[in-house]
Amino acid sequence: MLEIILDPSFLASIPRFVTPILLAALGGAICERAGVFNIGLEGMMLTGAFFAVLGSYFGGSVYVGALAAVLSGMAMGAIFAEFNLRRGGDPIVVSIAVNLLAAGLTTFLLRAIFDVAGAFRDPAIGGFGPIDIPGLAALPAIGQLLSGQSLLFYVSLVLVLALHVFFARHRLGLRIRAAGENPAGLTAGGVSPNRVRLAALLMCGALCGLAGAQLSIANVNLFVENMSAGRGWIAVVAVLLTRGRPLPLFFIASLFGAVDSLSFRVQGFGLPQQFTDMMPYLATLVVLTVLSWIRLQRAR
Amino acid sequence: MRASLEHISVDFGPVKAVDDVSFGVAAGEIHAIVGENGAGKSTLMNVLFGLVRPNNGRILIDGDERVWNSPQDAIEAGLGMVHQHFMLQDDMTVLENIVLCSEPANALGFVNFTAARNRIRDGFSQHGISIDLNARVGDLGVGQRQIVEILKVLYRDARLIILDEPTAVLTPQEKDRLFAILHSFATDRRSIIIITHKLDEVMEVADRVSVMRGGRLVSSGSLLKTTKERMARDIVGGELPPPLRRSARAPGRVVLSVRDLRVKGHMPVGPLSLDVGAGEIVGIAGVSGNGQSELIQAITGLRRASGEIRLDGKRVDNMDVAGRRGAGMSYIPEDRQRTGLALGASVSENANAGRDDVGRFSKGPFLDRKAMADFARGLIDRYRIKAAGPRALASTLSGGNKQKLVVGRELSRSTPLVIAENPTWGVDIGAIELIHAELLRMRDAGHAILLVSTELDEILTLSDRIFVIYAGALSDEIPASSADRQKIGMLMTSRRTATKVEA
Repeated sequence: MLEIILDPSFLASIPRFVTPILLAALGGAICERAGVFNIGLEGMMLTGAFFAVLGSYFGGSVYVGALAAVLSGMAMGAIFAEFNLRRGGDPIVVSIAVNLLAAGLTTFLLRAIFDVAGAFRDPAIGGFGPIDIPGLAALPAIGQLLSGQSLLFYVSLVLVLALHVFFARHRLGLRIRAAGENPAGLTAGGVSPNRVRLAALLMCGALCGLAGAQLSIANVNLFVENMSAGRGWIAVVAVLLTRGRPLPLFFIASLFGAVDSLSFRVQGFGLPQQFTDMMPYLATLVVLTVLSWIRLQRAR
Repeated sequence: MRASLEHISVDFGPVKAVDDVSFGVAAGEIHAIVGENGAGKSTLMNVLFGLVRPNNGRILIDGDERVWNSPQDAIEAGLGMVHQHFMLQDDMTVLENIVLCSEPANALGFVNFTAARNRIRDGFSQHGISIDLNARVGDLGVGQRQIVEILKVLYRDARLIILDEPTAVLTPQEKDRLFAILHSFATDRRSIIIITHKLDEVMEVADRVSVMRGGRLVSSGSLLKTTKERMARDIVGGELPPPLRRSARAPGRVVLSVRDLRVKGHMPVGPLSLDVGAGEIVGIAGVSGNGQSELIQAITGLRRASGEIRLDGKRVDNMDVAGRRGAGMSYIPEDRQRTGLALGASVSENANAGRDDVGRFSKGPFLDRKAMADFARGLIDRYRIKAAGPRALASTLSGGNKQKLVVGRELSRSTPLVIAENPTWGVDIGAIELIHAELLRMRDAGHAILLVSTELDEILTLSDRIFVIYAGALSDEIPASSADRQKIGMLMTSRRTATKVEA
């Protein structure tokens, strides 16, 4: 086991698994703080993964792919806002609709546009290559972990800090927190809580779209049906555990990502896949148990 | 700022909430609006502030007619409102709360907190306000939260400030401080409208007073030309019922006995001991959040606690809620919306909830709807509850009528002990009179009553003996005969400042 953990190629794989969970969780954090119960991260992420491939394939640039992913995620956010904020639909029902819509829509578009079922792979899909950081790359372990990752990994690290500052010092960040805590205070101040929540949903969609792009045009250069594979749900758990605080969220998302990566790795050691697939969820349960135990102790 | 409302009418469906009211406030004037709940005061102010659109009438600001599409328009025109239920963010600091919704931000939207801080400090020195800007609002007491609300409107440089029931939750000292700030605002040529139902405060602070009843303005004029008695008559629309008279009587056997009670919680309580005898009302005064709810929940069994609780000599501290109620305890909770009533159930179902004599209201394993409705009808008549009937949903009742239903249900159980927690919170004068009279009737009939209230007047009117709770500890006993408002006010805000009280 120790050999696996210290294996350089394992270390190098961790950020690939952390990035999508972290990006989606940051998006979820914005919704959580704004008082929008959004468990549609999975669907927003899957949409982003598909449109990243679409943009990269037809646009001929990985950046067009990332942009398409962001815009498609925002579109899902807008759909959420329309049905939840404007038409007053229950957020859980709307989330489920978003998740089902994303699964169906991406499968349908895969056949309609690329005329394939299951997966689309093509040399014309450009991907984010590894970025070597001079100096860091030479360090043992840390170099493996932090250097040679995709641009989106570095972007996600910056976004953790940026979101922290955003909540503390930005006008919209302040209003998002107010929309989540006491929206009546915003109304009394002449600001519509739902407009603030719309902004939160769009930002969340953008980040989930990027999370999808990491899956389809950074980890690999292809789209597979349902390729988000539950990572959006793990991001939801990370958001709820940390109540949307960016810094704790970073640690939880990193833990979940590392376990996700480990589960992939141990498949090579003869463990049945059904068992290794359970690992991220087991880790979630363990963290949930430990945290609730700590909270109970503190409450005493 | 000069503001006037001309011929304003607001209809809520078939109900005329405000009926052709004209009203004005001059620059530098403190104008009080009084009236019962439902008289239309708040609706009228919501019209002025852009929260409600009138069906008829005009709003004039400094002589010009204005139309508000939203509160934002009113705020931009220089109006500010301090709401009855604070609109603050508990998890934010005082500074963040003050700037929220009018943040001084740069082109990228980042807030310049330093500029905000300096600007607030200017207001501090001018009006004699002091507060820690870095404190978390959730950690502040009610009086300080109100200061934050006032700083919010001051920060927006409001020239007309509307305060909705601002003193409902304040200690006498905090009230004095608030009134000093309001006077300072008036000197600064700001106009102030204060909605209240406390006539003593009107006499103390206002320049002019308007009385509303049933959606109409019944009188308006200088305070010098009216009296408290006349205002009270205008409010209720007729002669006042005679003031409550309490007969002197010696308390009987000890009904509730609490020994060394300790409660853990947000505000730890105890160790404290307390006796309530048959035929007396023991009042516990205090600013909310000083352990009142912890104490009551411990006695009623809603919260775990250590120590000994006896009811008529019998230990009840290891019983659950139902056990304690069965042993002879009734409870009028503070929160009628969540604890007192099931809002989605009917009046009849609520009236019968938690009764001991189940046999009277059931036929075999089934509810006897007819017996339940008859019982509910009895309560409706006796407590003058305005309801469409026993089958109406509890949620359709107004606040005062909900409370009368809770009081009626609990008192009709006729248990040796009654615990009343802010029993008249947010109900109108008529309902207050009725509830107070019922509590006194129970006392005279030999029941023991523990009254916990944040309304000092209520404590002083009803209690035979008074304690003050502060930071989870009880003060020495204060006999009602020697109770003094200032002294109790001091005890409400600091630990044991007043020492011995002569019996």
